[in-house]
Amino acid sequence: MPLLSLKNLSKRFDKTQAVADVSLDVERGEFFGLLGPSGCGKTTTLRMIAGLETPDSGSIEFDGRDITNLPAERRGFGMVFQNYALFPHLNVFENVAFGLRARHKPNPEIRERVKGALELVQLPGYEKRRVDELSGGQQQRVAIARAIAIEPALLLFDEPLSNLDVTLREETRGELRELVNRLGLTAVYVTHDQEEAFALCDRISVMVGGRILQTGLPRDLYEHPAQLLVGQFLGRNNLIRAIRLSAGKSELAEFQTLEGGHTIRIAVGDKNLVPLNQACILAIRPEHILITKLDDQLENAVPATVREINFAGATSSIKLDANGLTLEALALEAAGLSVGDHCIAVLPPERISLLRNE
Amino acid sequence: MSEERPSSVGQRARPPRGQPAWGASHHRTSDGTAAALSPRLILLLIVVVVLLYGVIYPNLHVVIASLQRDGGWSLLNYREVLSQNIVLESIFASIGISVLTVLFCAGVGVPLAFLFERYTFPARRFFATLAALPLVLPPLVGTVAFIFLCGESGILARLVQSVFQLQHSPWSLRGWSALLLFHTYTMYPFFYILTGAGLSRIDASLAEAGRSLGAGKTRVLTRIVLPQLTPSLIAAALLTFMTSMASFSAPLLFGGGVRVLTLEIYTARQRGDARMALTETVVLAAISLSALVFFQRYEGTRKFAAAAMKGAAKRRKAVSAGYVRALAIACGVLFSVLLVLPVATLVLVSFAKEGSWTTQTLPSSYTLANYTKIFSDSSALEVFLNSLSMSAIAAGAALIWSFCVAALIARKGRRHWKRVLSWLILVPWALPGTVVAVSLAEAYGKPSPLLGSFILVGTFWILPVVYFLRFMPLVVRAVQASMEQIDAALEEAASSLGAQWWQRFTRVTLPLVWPGAIAGTLLAFVIALGEYVASVLVFVPHNRPISIAIASELRDFNLGAAAAYGVVLITVIGLIMILAGRLETSTSAG
Amino acid sequence: MLLTIACLSALLVSCNRSSSPAARKLLIYTPHGQDLLRDFVARYKVAHPETDVEFLDMGSREILERVRAERNRPQADLWWGAAHTTFQTATDENLLAPYRPTWADKIPNSSRDSQDRWYGTYQTPEVIVYNSDAVRAEEAPKDWDDVLDPKWRDRILIRNPNPSDSMRAIFGAMIWRFYKDTGSPEKGYDWLRRLDMNVHEYTADGTLLMQKLVRREGLISLWNLPDVWIYKEQKGFPIGYVFPASGTPVITDGIAIVRGAPNEEEAKRFYEFVTTPESLVLAAKKYYRIPVRTDVDRSQLPAWMNERVNEMPLDWDLLRKQSGEWLRYWDTEIRGRSKR
Repeated sequence: MPLLSLKNLSKRFDKTQAVADVSLDVERGEFFGLLGPSGCGKTTTLRMIAGLETPDSGSIEFDGRDITNLPAERRGFGMVFQNYALFPHLNVFENVAFGLRARHKPNPEIRERVKGALELVQLPGYEKRRVDELSGGQQQRVAIARAIAIEPALLLFDEPLSNLDVTLREETRGELRELVNRLGLTAVYVTHDQEEAFALCDRISVMVGGRILQTGLPRDLYEHPAQLLVGQFLGRNNLIRAIRLSAGKSELAEFQTLEGGHTIRIAVGDKNLVPLNQACILAIRPEHILITKLDDQLENAVPATVREINFAGATSSIKLDANGLTLEALALEAAGLSVGDHCIAVLPPERISLLRNE
Repeated sequence: MSEERPSSVGQRARPPRGQPAWGASHHRTSDGTAAALSPRLILLLIVVVVLLYGVIYPNLHVVIASLQRDGGWSLLNYREVLSQNIVLESIFASIGISVLTVLFCAGVGVPLAFLFERYTFPARRFFATLAALPLVLPPLVGTVAFIFLCGESGILARLVQSVFQLQHSPWSLRGWSALLLFHTYTMYPFFYILTGAGLSRIDASLAEAGRSLGAGKTRVLTRIVLPQLTPSLIAAALLTFMTSMASFSAPLLFGGGVRVLTLEIYTARQRGDARMALTETVVLAAISLSALVFFQRYEGTRKFAAAAMKGAAKRRKAVSAGYVRALAIACGVLFSVLLVLPVATLVLVSFAKEGSWTTQTLPSSYTLANYTKIFSDSSALEVFLNSLSMSAIAAGAALIWSFCVAALIARKGRRHWKRVLSWLILVPWALPGTVVAVSLAEAYGKPSPLLGSFILVGTFWILPVVYFLRFMPLVVRAVQASMEQIDAALEEAASSLGAQWWQRFTRVTLPLVWPGAIAGTLLAFVIALGEYVASVLVFVPHNRPISIAIASELRDFNLGAAAAYGVVLITVIGLIMILAGRLETSTSAG
Repeated sequence: MLLTIACLSALLVSCNRSSSPAARKLLIYTPHGQDLLRDFVARYKVAHPETDVEFLDMGSREILERVRAERNRPQADLWWGAAHTTFQTATDENLLAPYRPTWADKIPNSSRDSQDRWYGTYQTPEVIVYNSDAVRAEEAPKDWDDVLDPKWRDRILIRNPNPSDSMRAIFGAMIWRFYKDTGSPEKGYDWLRRLDMNVHEYTADGTLLMQKLVRREGLISLWNLPDVWIYKEQKGFPIGYVFPASGTPVITDGIAIVRGAPNEEEAKRFYEFVTTPESLVLAAKKYYRIPVRTDVDRSQLPAWMNERVNEMPLDWDLLRKQSGEWLRYWDTEIRGRSKR
């Protein structure tokens, strides 16, 4: 039985449908991600889980109990807000102790637990500091300490890292994951940053326009997006418009691209079968496109011209023109290639996803 | 958090599998929504009852009377009033003066608030305190002091005259300029105090962020800081506009030929034309309340996202650059001297020997007679105690009341009844004090079915009630402005941490709103201390307030004694302010 | 903190209140000032120690407003002090109770209400006032029309007539001078227009008027005699006065019992007490009030009270009924409009 389960949640604000028919399950001990562009309803979903918004319809179950209308203060979930929402009039100690005081814990226990929580977030000895004297990263840690100090049954994160700079963000990300694992907590994590979601989460739901488009393991989502919108949102993708030609040999289906007129074969299961002569979209990640100068009779080898090379540190992004079809490839070594060179782009069939265009 | 051994918290933080968190909660109410709703209902009930008995019922007869003619309903009174050129002229003059007053007060108050709230320089606290000085100038003698200072035979005029060897006074203290000068002097503290309170709650790093994004100083100010200050600025503008609309003694004393609506009401009353006075009163209140609607609309369009604010507070910047520092200090000193002058003049008048100060720049001989007169008077102490206790009761009640109101209004979701509520609350502020007192006296002077045998007139409590009704809008506005500036996420954070509504209120909202609320309450307290126009109509022997004593001395031509009363009052207020300041810093430091 | 102060002082106040064990009570509304009232109350208490006398001091117009507002449940017993025109308004609104004092026949009929609802106590003649440091006595205007002389242009201070009984009486008298012959206020308006040309400022109240006069913002004014003497003698202001040659309006200041007074008998006793010849002489000597009663020993009064006053005969009733309209006209059409 899942620990948290959302059933057909919907929420409207005036004229906008913020959340539409969202259902998902979070297993005990899982680090669950809600990923989507800003305005997709992920924060609203999180706030409904926290009890800060009441859904218009649908229900929320926690540990087998319906908590849809339970006020936030009685859910016992810890939440880390995007802007941290630290109490400016209280010092670090009192901020962390806030939830414990609300529970009327005895003072010695409060002191001990605040101390422990601050140690966990590597801020020991900061008790007496004013929160406005802390750096952004430290404020963020206080916010986390405050949320875990109450021994939450569920930990909710609302883009907690978005106010930090890049290096600090990556560092904190690792610590956060480790902390949650160590405490054996279940967490729901909202973010618009796919890299962050992939690094942190066990499972991810991708939300766009108030709906969950796809839920799954990060790798599955990345490599086999089920929908165009998911494919577009998760990382860079070459989206190729094509028409299905035939069932082809063995388990490969044959497509013809609209631009360039290349023949592409991909491995498709039955459920994805598209009727013949029907337009659809094929997706392949730039890093999966191989560039070679030799025609090795490989599957899906397309002749192309190098249009642009962008050096980006470890990799280079190479823009190719294959007879009108623009492709982007990532290569570790761009050496040997220069703009205007002719080459062969290989699109391995197992790397190509067929997207539903909804 | 690498090599840290899991601490005791870490181990305990591991949730006992299968046990939901609310199991640990001390509060086991069967229905959570009911627990959250009922206090709100009680609040609503309190607010409705107070408004019904304090505002609607007493003032209804004013509106009804203005709509009646020869025993029947008619708009004739309005047609008559509004068809007179003199009335139209006075309406335009009132609006014009009030708009200009708002602009001038903002022009003085807002920069001052920035100067004192954002920068530190030597003696900043001292100057910052002085900047609120005009508030303590008691209304009756304050105008007199102003006349002795800036009037055509005042100290400044005489000084200029003697320096430049002029035959005649260089100016006269009459007309629009005199009115605006006095209004700006007495009303800019609304902007100064409310903006100051607002600024103290704005995160300076936001402005810094703006600067770092390449925005110039003016751009940061207009695009980042001012929009965040909007609630405070609007509250101040509204209070200033309404005060200016209802301003009476200034136009009476310095207006010269300027006719404003309050004066028209006054002369109509004096002529015995009660119907016209009533109708003009309704017109005045209507204008003031439409200003409220106007400001609210503006407020709606400029409402910033509260979530954009981090809960963390500002940092005060030290003015370091040599010339900027000198300039800031110079401005502070200059302002303070200007602000102190009327009070100093009042002190001078209180020590001047009557009849000795005629054509001289400063009095030629001094005396302590005025002080011995009031200190040897046994009733003087009583008068002070009366005023202090009644104002404190009224201000304290206003503070509690404004939290009731703010709790109902401030939170998300704008509905029509909220608008009506804030309207009704401001009605007593929009009405001239005389009208508030008269309607209360008439409504609560006789037993009526609505009241049972409850009669307020002739008791000690009538004045605290009048003060409460007249000045609670001030506190409500201040609290509302503070509440609107609080990041909504703070309360949400508190509730996600398990705090019940009253824990959220006392531990999060209250401490954050406190500075603004205290500022507003002190403002109401101080203004109530000097209230005259309403007091004179309802005071009783046992609650004779200080303003009546001052007026009494003035009527007996004891200008010096009246000034002495004023000086003592200012001293008392000053002491209270210092005490309050101490209290505030000691609580906020804790 | 505010609450603490509130509680403390409320406690003190209530202590004060409970310390007065007197059985009988009396509440007086009066504009006569604290000094005079305390004096008389103290003397009264010598004779009637069982009575707890309290008074509220405020302007006579404010008393009228208050008595009006309290008419359904009167608080005051006695109303001591207001121009007879104000009392007349109060009788029109049925706010006063009739009482015929023992000395009713000792005053002229013009100084009392025909139905005993108020009686005159003091007289207030109006005079021309000047700054005696700046204007020599022989230069000062001798009559009303002298005030219009162009040499006083911008030299005259006038108190705003709307709230002032004295100024209303003077303005009314100036219009009445012509009205009684022509039946129209037009010529009176012309007179006020010419006055307006000379007026430097209309001041808000009497205190400011006197201050501005000695500070020479203006040199000439019109005001009432008792006040002039208070300033002249008590405060040493350099001012002089002239009785207008053609006669001057004399206002009667009165006393009345409020209709529905809770302590009417006590009020009557105090009423009688303050209007005995002895009390009137005391008020005359110490407080510059000129008695109305004709049976007061004039030799005991200050010398200036015995100067012959040429009283201008006026139809007070007509004045009271018309002055609203006249003042309104003055306010809108004359005031401050003549110079430009």
